[in-house]
Amino acid sequence: MSRIPKEYIINRLITLVLTILIAATLIWIIPRLSPVDPAEIALGRMAAGAGTVENADEILATLRAQMGIDQPMIVQYIKYIKGVLLLDFGLSTAAFPTPVSALIANALPWTLGLMLISLIITFIVGNLLGALMVWEKTPRLWKVAIPAAMVFTSIPPILSGLLLMWIFAAKLQWFPLTGAYGLTVEPGWTWTFASSVLQHGFLPALSIVVVTFGFWALGMRGLMITVQGEDHTTLAKAKGLKPRYILYKYMIRNAILPQITAFALKIGLLIAGQVLVERIFAYNGMGKLLYDAILDQDFPVIQGVSYVIILLTALSVFIVDLIYPFIDPRVRHEVA
Amino acid sequence: MLDDVTPKKPVLTMADISIEFPTPRGVVQAVKNLNLTIHKGRRVGFIGESGSGKTTTALSVMQMLAEPGRVSTGTIDLGGTDILALNEEEMRKTRLSRVAYIPQGAMNSLNPIMRIEPQLWDAILAHEPGTPRADLKSRSDAAISSVGLPLHVGQLYPHELSGGMKQRVCIALGIILTPELIIADEPTSALDVVTQRQVMQTLNEIQAKIGSGLILIGHDMGLMAQSVDELAVLKDGELVEHGTVKQIIESPKHPYTQDLISSVPLVGGDSFLNPDKQANAPRRDSTQPLLRFEGVSKKYGAVTALHPMSFTLQGDTPQIISIVGQSGSGKSTMGSIMLGFNPPTTGHVLFEGHDLQRMSGTQSLEFRKNVQAVFQDPYACFNPFYRVNHALKFPFKQFGLSQGDKHTQQAMEEACVAVGLDPDLVLSRYPHQLSGGQRQRLIVARALMLSPKLLIADEPVSMVDASLRASILSNIYDLKDKYGISILYITHDLATAYHVSDYVMVLFKGHVVEAGPPKAVIGDPQHPYTQLLIDSIPWPDLQRAWGHGGANWDPSEQEAQAMKVGAVYRGDVEGFDLVRA
Repeated sequence: MSRIPKEYIINRLITLVLTILIAATLIWIIPRLSPVDPAEIALGRMAAGAGTVENADEILATLRAQMGIDQPMIVQYIKYIKGVLLLDFGLSTAAFPTPVSALIANALPWTLGLMLISLIITFIVGNLLGALMVWEKTPRLWKVAIPAAMVFTSIPPILSGLLLMWIFAAKLQWFPLTGAYGLTVEPGWTWTFASSVLQHGFLPALSIVVVTFGFWALGMRGLMITVQGEDHTTLAKAKGLKPRYILYKYMIRNAILPQITAFALKIGLLIAGQVLVERIFAYNGMGKLLYDAILDQDFPVIQGVSYVIILLTALSVFIVDLIYPFIDPRVRHEVA
Repeated sequence: MLDDVTPKKPVLTMADISIEFPTPRGVVQAVKNLNLTIHKGRRVGFIGESGSGKTTTALSVMQMLAEPGRVSTGTIDLGGTDILALNEEEMRKTRLSRVAYIPQGAMNSLNPIMRIEPQLWDAILAHEPGTPRADLKSRSDAAISSVGLPLHVGQLYPHELSGGMKQRVCIALGIILTPELIIADEPTSALDVVTQRQVMQTLNEIQAKIGSGLILIGHDMGLMAQSVDELAVLKDGELVEHGTVKQIIESPKHPYTQDLISSVPLVGGDSFLNPDKQANAPRRDSTQPLLRFEGVSKKYGAVTALHPMSFTLQGDTPQIISIVGQSGSGKSTMGSIMLGFNPPTTGHVLFEGHDLQRMSGTQSLEFRKNVQAVFQDPYACFNPFYRVNHALKFPFKQFGLSQGDKHTQQAMEEACVAVGLDPDLVLSRYPHQLSGGQRQRLIVARALMLSPKLLIADEPVSMVDASLRASILSNIYDLKDKYGISILYITHDLATAYHVSDYVMVLFKGHVVEAGPPKAVIGDPQHPYTQLLIDSIPWPDLQRAWGHGGANWDPSEQEAQAMKVGAVYRGDVEGFDLVRA
């Protein structure tokens, strides 16, 4: 296996850093275009709690100073970028004065666990089913059943989530209704905790798998049809290779390449797509954090979550870029 | 050719074979009651145009007909085995071990993510499971070297090989299990003449060595004449004539066979397009040269595709200038530079005195109207979602030539008639409903509607059936002769260049090696490279043997040699000045 050229890696690294910087800047600019003043919101919240607030102007000024929004824009920006690079997004305005990074650190493992597992399951199931839709040796029953199963893809996740909850949690009571783990379970590295987490994660994961496998299956089906028509598939058959070997080594192996790029892009999109699923299942992940932050107009949290989404997406694209030359030798040729 | 060899035992007997494709609109008969026997060691050519059923017939032997095709009547006997009675697993084992297939598209026939060696190994393992690695290695090495490739090719990926090398790998694959029958489906159609000769000679040598039968599918009568023993002529799914090459070439009986033979343009004599030299292309008033190359060169990274070149094409005398060469000679690069799609690395391209790279918006629009292109692939030139009249109408209106719908319609109809198409029949159709020849004519008609001053035709007939080439070339010739359009004809086909052009430039590795009137350059080549090109053309003439000069072909040595000789200039033509290097 020949080595990847240094220029290629440097090139990709520069792209990665630039993407992150530009995205961070956009995330900073967008809330500042809105006329809402977070200090006033915080004051409003205090007022709502205490009835009246004395020295409103003074408190407002203090809040602004604490939030750092009394300084010139450019100073704020430089401070923000510095912070962002160290994963410091300031303090949450809704859960003041909890640092945003602490909130994210609490939520991220839940989401990553749920998301990665369901994404990997969907990727495998979806691509395999998509490939089977095209393969000439697939049993006829499967060829009818797979497209029929696509019906689920057109169901919005919110509905499928509710449906699954109703069937499996409410009626059959096989799985708990909401939450990431049982209320009575003490978090820790114990078997009870782990099984509780798995039980609680099953339905949200299933609802994600059911609604998203069609995306992979349909994409894979298109790619497989192209590969099936290619000369090397015809020659593989003329070589007398076994049908299953042709399916894996000649067809899926070639068709899967664009899907791997799509997989990297999906990682970022999924956090956003998961907002409603987490909300329904009261699952304390990034989606729910983002949802609550939007309701509370908690800008630092919104910024922090958006930034983490972008960071994850950019990192996964970067990793795919690095792996790609190993899974597609033609790319290595182009970069050399 | 060994015409008098007594036929040995048959390897393939097809008796009363009919192949049909049931479609929603009814059953299409692709092959009708075909009878054919192929003997051991014999090479049989299947010749016919696209849609004649030649590939379908051959694929039925492999049981690899495209869905929903099926053999409806008859029997296929492969060396004593009834192919149609085999079950799927038995058929799989028969493929490659007894009947091998060498596909047409050498470019994409190998799995892009696997090295060459494992692709030879998996073929052996599919038939002889458990073959030890050392055995695999020695057999793949033997196969690779038998087709004249260096052994390190086994470690490479398909994209690292040239088209000719890939085709050789496919041959190596085909013979690795010494089959009784090899089916080669246009194995050289994607290769240039020089490579074609090497690959065909390699295939023939190896077939003679293992003594298998060979079916060579093709549409090139010259290639057939030079490579097979027997010819089977197919037309619309019927075998219209079958005999030895000698019988068929020297005394074809069926009118279709006669057409196939006579439609191959030969080098020599007068141009069939302008036999009496009466052509008198209308002159144009022009003060500025139409097209001017000033020291134009093009580099792609470290590779020089085109070395500095300067010429002037005058605007007042329409001429057809041919640019010929192998793939990689820089001829298509020249075409894309002329069209302004590809900026030159050095130098300037001037159209009527304006630099293509520094044109204003209006100048650029004027340039686009005045310079039209006809490309190789008549399929890819149409948007499949629109009827073809859209493709004709759109540029006409876009350039502001239309004076209302009636005028547009009239212009379209005139243009169709000018290229020999019936406007009522073609204009309201979709591209997929037309033949390749009709599509290519429509592209010529579209160019004609804009009354351009210059037409750049990049391999306009290489994907069109042989019998239609002559008439499309005469359409293109008429553009000059009747409408006074200057034409740059880019091709690898020296025979058509001979007939069409007024001036020929032979390109090799981005250098002009020989230039002048076609009768001198192609009729009596002086430069060793031009001689090699002419020598590599397979002629449909049994007296004119296909030389064997290609076996030791070494491009780098050839280049050094060609450069040593330098360019040969064979005379001038009015209206075109090539600056001599």
